Amino acid sequence: MNEPITNLWSIPLLIVIPILTAILVNLLYNKANAIKTIAISSSITLLAIALISPFGFQWFTGQPGVIPGGGYTFSADIFAWRLSLEYYYGSLQQILIVIMSLLLAFVVFISTRVLKKNFGTYIGLLFLLYTSAAIIIMVNDFYHLWIGVEFGSLLVAGVVAASGESISQKAALKYTFFSALSGAGMAISLALILGLTGYSNISDAIRFMSNNQLGGMSGVLYVAFGFLILSWIYAGGLAPTHPLKSDVYGAAYPHATILLQTQSKLMLVAMGLIILRLFSGLPFAKEVMLAISVITMMLGVVMALLQTDFRWTLAYLIISHSGLVTVGISLGTVAGIIGGLFQAVNDIIYMSILLLCCEAVLYFGSGTSIRSISGIAKSSPWLTGAVIVGALAASGIPPLNGFQSELILIQAALGQGLPEIAVIILMVSVTTFIALFKSIYSIFLRPADQTIIVGKPSADATTTGLSPVPKVLFLALAVLIGIAIILGVYPNLALNFLNETAMKVVYVPWVP
Amino acid sequence: MIEITLQLLSFIAAAILVIVGLTGMLFLDNLIKKIISFTLLSDGVNLALVSLGYVEGGIASILTPGSSVVDFPYNAILIFGPGIVLTNIVIGVSTTAILVALTIVLYKRYGTLKASKVLKGERK
Repeated sequence: MNEPITNLWSIPLLIVIPILTAILVNLLYNKANAIKTIAISSSITLLAIALISPFGFQWFTGQPGVIPGGGYTFSADIFAWRLSLEYYYGSLQQILIVIMSLLLAFVVFISTRVLKKNFGTYIGLLFLLYTSAAIIIMVNDFYHLWIGVEFGSLLVAGVVAASGESISQKAALKYTFFSALSGAGMAISLALILGLTGYSNISDAIRFMSNNQLGGMSGVLYVAFGFLILSWIYAGGLAPTHPLKSDVYGAAYPHATILLQTQSKLMLVAMGLIILRLFSGLPFAKEVMLAISVITMMLGVVMALLQTDFRWTLAYLIISHSGLVTVGISLGTVAGIIGGLFQAVNDIIYMSILLLCCEAVLYFGSGTSIRSISGIAKSSPWLTGAVIVGALAASGIPPLNGFQSELILIQAALGQGLPEIAVIILMVSVTTFIALFKSIYSIFLRPADQTIIVGKPSADATTTGLSPVPKVLFLALAVLIGIAIILGVYPNLALNFLNETAMKVVYVPWVP
Repeated sequence: MIEITLQLLSFIAAAILVIVGLTGMLFLDNLIKKIISFTLLSDGVNLALVSLGYVEGGIASILTPGSSVVDFPYNAILIFGPGIVLTNIVIGVSTTAILVALTIVLYKRYGTLKASKVLKGERK
């Protein structure tokens, strides 16, 4: 534990272990038992590392920081020009990576049960998706930020296409075409910031901009802001690119969507905070971000209301609730940022509960459309209980976790003199409730039709060849519901991790 | 009067590549032509990034023994542009590979390369 502060041992491990696992399981290809053993032990190792790791930095170039008055230092506590590619593992990174590691372990467990063959490559993609999200949330330099986003976009396409259905392949194709546009924009944006400041380290660039009072005086900065916002919108699935992301969520296996939506939330948070740190001095920067967030919230929830398939309802609700996360960040105040970050944590948890329930519905053999299946409550009351808890959490009903974060967001909006935003957040909560309970009533609570054959293999490709719902899925549901209730009753357990980050972003933005 | 420099010409060439690539990606219906347009766009961005770091009469951004430490920051080209271009080439190739693979799969399924036909009626 006595590592030099700029050489934290856990950061390379959180990146290298999933990459090595991906290579290994890909090589093993079809050796099911070996792949299961490696993938499961690797995901548990990642969870353990994320839990026990202290906080600190990793300076990849290995050179000391340059102290302005003269001299060098390896300590991040002393102000110095860092001049290096840098990762930071702090309280925000810890809570998000711990949750993502937990979800990775469950998703790997489930996918080894669901897929019968050729799953080495698929599990490899899941581990790489984890890596891209871990990179983006820890990064503090432009180079790794850009690589993480680009790499992540390609992996999203890979994971979606892996389900092998034509709808998934089309969604992956469209997503990849647009990732090319967004990636090009981001590269130009970062190059412009670098051209303006001369620093690839984000902390250094912010310090330079602050010292030289670049702020709203530089036209180049506006162009860079525009391109970076474009990438943020695309990476997180915000309006107007939301149809691409909702197609991706709806077309992938529901268990894969758990990791896909987690990665998106991490991208939204990481890029949102970086944009705020870099451009909060620009006039209208926060207003632009806020407008995009509000439009995303409203469009997503309206589209969710129109769906007749549980899978697609969830796909659009994930988009809508991404807007809730970014509304908080866009407010730019300590309370707003805390609310946005807490919403991201909660959103990942309750959406995972709902997606697991959606995965379980596929095992009943009639898809997830509200017209094709009904009456699951009678044969599977526990599953029905789980989906209701997930829906209540998503709708912001106390004492579940969604309530706490939405309350903070509403208070933050009112604190900023924006009651209209508070009203929209409330409307999104109510509409989420209606959209979810429309599906839940039809699929779970409505009396059963003759078409339902409980426990038989599904015609859907996801569950081909399997009959019972895997026990690990119920275990995952129990754990996630437990977390949702605990965070709902004791929100400070999470808020203690998020306060520091919010304070730093607002008051000392050059500190990662 | 704007001075015509090598850097300006490079930026103009990059802009033309980006516009041609973007137009092709958005308006051409053939998937293979869309992929070719993407590579043009990617090349345009790479050229813009390299041009951004260009310094008239500059030197490579490597501090060699005997070179002046005082003059180095003023004469050296910006290294980030070429650095990001190297990675962008790799990412561009990976993206092209994924696009081609998906196009092949969809062509086998639908027997056409027209994006309008392939992407139509995607919901079950």
